[in-house]
Amino acid sequence: MILEKVKEILVEELDVEEESITLDSKIKEDLGADSLDLFELISRIEDELDVTIDEDDYGKLITVGNLVDYLTEKNK
Amino acid sequence: MIYTEICKLLNIKYPIFQGGMAQISDAKLAAAVSEAGGLGVIASGNSPPALVKSEIHKIRELTDKPFGVNVMLLSPHVEEVSQLLVEEKVPVIITGAGNPGKYMRIWKEAGIKVVPVVPSVAFAKHFEKLGADAIICEGTEAGGHVGEITTMCITPQVVDAVKIPVVAAGGIGDGRGIAAAFCLGAKGVQVGTRFILAKECRVHQNYKDKVIKANDTATVVTGRKTGHPVRVLKNRLANQFRELEKNNASVEEMEELGRGKLYQAAVLGDVVYGSVMSGQIAGLLSKEQSCKEIIVEMFEEAEKIMKNLAGGNNE
Repeated sequence: MILEKVKEILVEELDVEEESITLDSKIKEDLGADSLDLFELISRIEDELDVTIDEDDYGKLITVGNLVDYLTEKNK
Repeated sequence: MIYTEICKLLNIKYPIFQGGMAQISDAKLAAAVSEAGGLGVIASGNSPPALVKSEIHKIRELTDKPFGVNVMLLSPHVEEVSQLLVEEKVPVIITGAGNPGKYMRIWKEAGIKVVPVVPSVAFAKHFEKLGADAIICEGTEAGGHVGEITTMCITPQVVDAVKIPVVAAGGIGDGRGIAAAFCLGAKGVQVGTRFILAKECRVHQNYKDKVIKANDTATVVTGRKTGHPVRVLKNRLANQFRELEKNNASVEEMEELGRGKLYQAAVLGDVVYGSVMSGQIAGLLSKEQSCKEIIVEMFEEAEKIMKNLAGGNNE
């Protein structure tokens, strides 16, 4: 459920093919997000999944898998 | 008199910030702006904390009016400088070139007003949530580090997205620019390039002359590939950058070429091979004035325009 939502947002924000997104995809290097894109992503995820992503945790969110795990943990 | 929420928030007479320009905005320039009723801003740039501290002490000797310190978040000294500003309890912190989120709490706890410069709506909303007191939205017309969106487009979008007051920056050089910013919903303006020409500005005379001579097409953005693009006046250094870009040079090569070049231009006066950062509005600017003359002239002009906008014949 979270993975689908994250994929949907990534596809829209970064103009990438859904098939190209795996849990191992690096958001910056593989999916081509720059720092502005990352911010758009985070604020959309916060709004749409009703979570707050702590500033200190930004550095941990390298891959799509990291992001999904993080959100799953938050949603518990 | 144009009195806005920004004046009230920061206890200043005119809602104008002098842009924090690395190697250029020192205590003397900032003090002159603050004395004239605006918000003078010391640029900490890449400076080590000891230097920033001495500039803060200097401005406190020169004026008892509020002032700001610009924190450049890419600086290698950003941690120590952030801490120093808390110890010094500076009235206002402006941040640029990155995300100040991790410092926001300690600054707010120290009672400092924090005003981040943002390049997009998402950043503006985020910093509002973290407790920013106001937002500076800076269009790509500005000099130095720039984003992609123009002041005309980003200002109303940020104004609609946040409840805190918005200061417009990028491309503002006279009273018409101020009036336009207010039309877009801004409650204040930040002006950099025009203050390069201030009499109190210590930048090398060659730099000032280059800004005065500039026309509308005189600037160019270099280094987009590095992720930190910079707007400068065209010269041989800018050509070298463009050459590197054409040849698909590495980010490291480009950063190497840029190293120390702002100092070379601003302090040593080499405007041929140094980095002459400037906004697009340089083409409009033609005279050196004191900070007071600049501010008073800009606001008198803006006021006149805004009266006429309000239906004319109000004088």
